[in-house]
Amino acid sequence: MTARPPCRLAALGVVNALGADPESVWRGLLAGEPARLSWNEALVPGRRLLVGAVSDPLPEVPAALARYACRNNAMALAALAQIEAPVRAALARHGAARVGVVMGTSTSGVADAEDAFRWQRAHGGLAPSFDYAQLEFGGLAAFVADRLGASGPAFTLSTACSSGARALASARSLLAMGLCDAVVAGAADTLCGLTTNGFAALQAVSEGVTNPCSRNRAGLTLGEGAAAFLLLPEPGGIQLTGVGESSEAHHMSAPDPTGAGAEAAMRGALADAGLAADAIAYLNLHGTGTPLNDAMECQAVERVFGTSLAVSSTKPLVGHALGAAGALEAAFCWLVLAQSAPGVLELPPHCFDGERDPELPALHLVGKGESVRVEGPARVMTNSFGFGGNNCTLVLERS
Amino acid sequence: MSANGPATRAHVLRWSAWSPGLEDAPAWERWAAAPAPLATEGHPAAAFLPAMLRRRCTPLTRLVLTAAFGALAEGERPRVRTVFATRHGSINESIELLHQVVAQERLSPTKFSHTVHNAQAGLFCIAAGNRQASSSLAARADTFACGWLEALTFLERDPATPVLLVTSDVPLDATFAALVPEPRGAYGLGLLLARAGDGPGFDLDLDGRGEAGARPWPDAAEFLRSLLAGEARLALGRFGWTRAA
Repeated sequence: MTARPPCRLAALGVVNALGADPESVWRGLLAGEPARLSWNEALVPGRRLLVGAVSDPLPEVPAALARYACRNNAMALAALAQIEAPVRAALARHGAARVGVVMGTSTSGVADAEDAFRWQRAHGGLAPSFDYAQLEFGGLAAFVADRLGASGPAFTLSTACSSGARALASARSLLAMGLCDAVVAGAADTLCGLTTNGFAALQAVSEGVTNPCSRNRAGLTLGEGAAAFLLLPEPGGIQLTGVGESSEAHHMSAPDPTGAGAEAAMRGALADAGLAADAIAYLNLHGTGTPLNDAMECQAVERVFGTSLAVSSTKPLVGHALGAAGALEAAFCWLVLAQSAPGVLELPPHCFDGERDPELPALHLVGKGESVRVEGPARVMTNSFGFGGNNCTLVLERS
Repeated sequence: MSANGPATRAHVLRWSAWSPGLEDAPAWERWAAAPAPLATEGHPAAAFLPAMLRRRCTPLTRLVLTAAFGALAEGERPRVRTVFATRHGSINESIELLHQVVAQERLSPTKFSHTVHNAQAGLFCIAAGNRQASSSLAARADTFACGWLEALTFLERDPATPVLLVTSDVPLDATFAALVPEPRGAYGLGLLLARAGDGPGFDLDLDGRGEAGARPWPDAAEFLRSLLAGEARLALGRFGWTRAA
């Protein structure tokens, strides 16, 4: 088998409940406390929910792009602004037509569409600030491309919670096919009434902070955020070396309890990266804290890796940002590789109530302050398992 | 391994399309000879689906699953990878849910599950017993072309496994229709794509220079017309398809 062409994750912009730049997010991950989650009484009638809301001010969508002006695009812009210089350099070097955009989202501008519908109830027409470009899924990638002046292919993937991971996978392939010389890829999702009430109706939302792998786990904590990477077809730095994909073919809102789909995605990513399981130093779990996800994921992890691999779910720290989660957790893995000193990886701890579910395999859940030693290239993995049964696992490597 | 040909090439091994009044291959052959705007009302019976699943299907889901199953032999259903391209997806059904959210009413969990953008992908995988890789996307006026491109990314990762690309939309509800100038029509097109095999091969490029909105039927139908006419070159916006010799 010939080696895959290189794919460098050359720059990262990130925003979520922990902060609006890589340093703040990294500090928050290592602190390992759900301190930045906040209570919300507006999203679900009659319920008080803990959510991972972004509290940092978001940049304004420029007036020339006013039709795209919604919170979800402002979220994307907050991440994009952090990588603007290297993206501009890529545009100047390769030309606008050679720079592509692949974004993921599950919400697009639904939150602003809800405001437009509220206005309609009071005034009889949709709010004048509303434009369909805010709501349609393709609008996110179109906004990013227009904002950057990139004129290569631009599309939005929406496969629920795996959208952000898939965006990176597709971006890597666009580079490998030679259709683009640089791709901006990532995801953005925004807290909104539709999704929160939908998951509440499915009885999937926890009252308090999500509690992954605990015997007391009772559902997910929702969140929001965005991550944007610049991907270049060059060696060095941090590489996207593995993509694994599968579908559940089981149920629209529940995974196969055996974890077969999750296992196939992890094994696929290892095979794509040309690695044995023991080459992975850390796994960022999907770890939503729902009874079914954690049960099937822990079983699948044990079958692929045994129980010694260091694993954690970062969702108690930031909430589950759904369509953005795959890109955000790839960003967390990127930070693990970028911020750690050579030979050692500092890891985000697994934050929960400490009461392990005795029914689950006893995985090595990362403790606070824990790090792992690595010899040679450091490789980490992240799992994203989407509602509707869409799975995507990524492997990142620092040589 | 059947991996040959450039990374931008895909062969159309089989196709299947459905639009009201254009319900089999001979009807589409006649349409391609004298193309006209597609009908906007009506959806397929999808009698191949189990009754319980069929009852829950939206018009879009029936179109998608009819086009998907029509492009596959029975033994291929669990084996292909899938890409679902739809500009509007389940937006029409989401409108009802948005009104309920604004009115602070409880949502139906089933209706919520069936309006996510990848609902048709999930339902296809369940109905077909398919556990392969799958993607769902939207790209405004470029949705068909970007669906093709996403299918090429699947072939880049694994040239040996065919990819089923399904492009489908229904006319946008009156709530939003005036905001979106586009050719209207209810349709689903399934294309079984592979890096090599029996069926015309196409090389995709980004030098299309096609006129956007140049014709009153959707891009997916225009691709099918060009395919059936045996044309050497098709441009849709910036995307170009050149038939391989």
